[in-house]
Amino acid sequence: MSTPTQTETANQTALGRLRDLWNDYLPYWFMAPMVLVMVMITFFPGAYDLYLSVIAEPTFNVFEAEFVGLQHFETAFTRGGAFHSFVITITVVVSALALETLLGFVLAALVAGVDSGRMKGFYRVLFIIPMAVAPVSLATIGRLMLNSEIGIIPYVIETATPLAAPNFLSEVPLLTVILLDTWNWTPFMFIIFYAGLSSVPDTLVEASRVDGAPLWRRYVHVIIPYMKPVVFVATLIRLIDLFRTFGVVYGLTNGGPGTATQLVSINIYEQMFINNQLGVAAAIAIVYLVLVVALCNIIIAKVGFEGVWD
Amino acid sequence: MATSDPDAAIGSQRLDKETRERLVTVARHTILLGWSFVVLFPLYWLVSMSLKPPGQANSLPPDWIFLPTVYNYIQLVQQSDFVAAFANSVMMVSASVVIVLLIGVPAAYVLSRYDIPMERDVLVWILSSRMLPPIAVVIPFFVIFRALNLFDTRIGMVLMYVSINLSLVVWVMKAFFDGIPETLEEAARVDGATQFQGFRKVVLPAAKPGIFSVAIISFIFAWIELLFGLVLTSFEAVPVTLFVYSFIGSRSIEWSLLAAASTAMIVPVVVFLVAVNKYLAAGLSFGVVIKE
Repeated sequence: MSTPTQTETANQTALGRLRDLWNDYLPYWFMAPMVLVMVMITFFPGAYDLYLSVIAEPTFNVFEAEFVGLQHFETAFTRGGAFHSFVITITVVVSALALETLLGFVLAALVAGVDSGRMKGFYRVLFIIPMAVAPVSLATIGRLMLNSEIGIIPYVIETATPLAAPNFLSEVPLLTVILLDTWNWTPFMFIIFYAGLSSVPDTLVEASRVDGAPLWRRYVHVIIPYMKPVVFVATLIRLIDLFRTFGVVYGLTNGGPGTATQLVSINIYEQMFINNQLGVAAAIAIVYLVLVVALCNIIIAKVGFEGVWD
Repeated sequence: MATSDPDAAIGSQRLDKETRERLVTVARHTILLGWSFVVLFPLYWLVSMSLKPPGQANSLPPDWIFLPTVYNYIQLVQQSDFVAAFANSVMMVSASVVIVLLIGVPAAYVLSRYDIPMERDVLVWILSSRMLPPIAVVIPFFVIFRALNLFDTRIGMVLMYVSINLSLVVWVMKAFFDGIPETLEEAARVDGATQFQGFRKVVLPAAKPGIFSVAIISFIFAWIELLFGLVLTSFEAVPVTLFVYSFIGSRSIEWSLLAAASTAMIVPVVVFLVAVNKYLAAGLSFGVVIKE
């Protein structure tokens, strides 16, 4: 190596200083972009929704905005159908969550007990596939198969059984939405529970088997307690995501018939883009935000994060 | 039970147990095959509809046997809207995955390795971005996108997709980094590596399965997103979900074409899922679960 010229040394020290800056403050550089994006996507929308919900018309000069108090909130709950859409949403969230958790767990337990490795792999791969189906494609499938004129499911019900098939999309739309979501997202619960079940130490299960505990006792007293963190995380994440439900309902019934499947998300969308009631839409959104975030935080605080943190 | 022959008693008990186990096995597979049918039949129906000539698509009783044709797919590809929307989705979703990893993975590393003040609160705050229903988030972004000329642009959509997945990436990757022993980087540091080199050359390769699975999950969540496309695009940056929706929304539905478009949306994701299903569990469960 030849002796570096003066400029090269100067460059190197400048570069070196930069490198030191990079290395000494590494955690800050690493965190900064994430914090920036998080602030943008959490604080900004909340604050802006709040602003929209209490002013007459949005204006870019905040000081010129005409403050109307809780008028939009009142409109939302008197004429905007907000209360109805909250009830509908909670019905869908609770029923779908219960169904998906139960079904996911039963399927995971059944697959985990399969003796043949090849069959196990077959079921495991097969059962996760519905997750790949976009809600909007699921709405297609639903409309295709449940259609009262061309649908295969009403056709099979009517030809194979003495029962009269209901018109799924107009007579039992809410049930249809719940069942379609269950088809779509049970795989999520299945795959997490399956991994959870395979992480239960064999010795633990074996010990209770030797003690003569029957199958259900093994589950209730050994396996499920051991899996508590897994069950907790899976249901919390699914709960959060269920509140986001939009595409399948929008594609399947568009909130109808009437307002039978008007979830909060559909209601807000309609207030905003069909009725041009930005303030009312924002007011419902604020109530929704507070409700969902508060609920999730209460659950996290109550159940705690034992076994989830570190 | 000292009355009868103990050996016979044990023998009959064993026989009972065997029969019972066989019954359990039969019941188990019956239920599992039943669910397999529930999973597969709708998909079969969609795909078969997409492969039937339009006149045959809606006939009841259904034509179980038919000559498959790619007519609908040719029709679909000839619609420039579909090709554009599909290409849009591929580009926007892939870009968002790269960006969300670049932002989320280093942050997760810091959260895992350093003592962050109020770390628990920071993590809950990050998760809370996922608790915000997109519909509540989209109103402000609708206004700001119009003001910043981001409305109906691919860059704008990429930003929204990043926002959906960032919390997921941070949470999953933090759990993964927690599982990688710190001694690994310490050894590298002793050998003269800088902090960054330790991260890049030692920790990142060890976390590869996690990065892989979280990338796939992020891809799926962005790929299936409808709402942001519906509100924040009109022509240029339309994602494929919106294309499929516009078919459903039209007054007379062209079922065969709709089925083909829906199938085209599903197939790549199914291939992905099946390819990475081994890592998926660990990723989805935020690392709470010990890897198989």
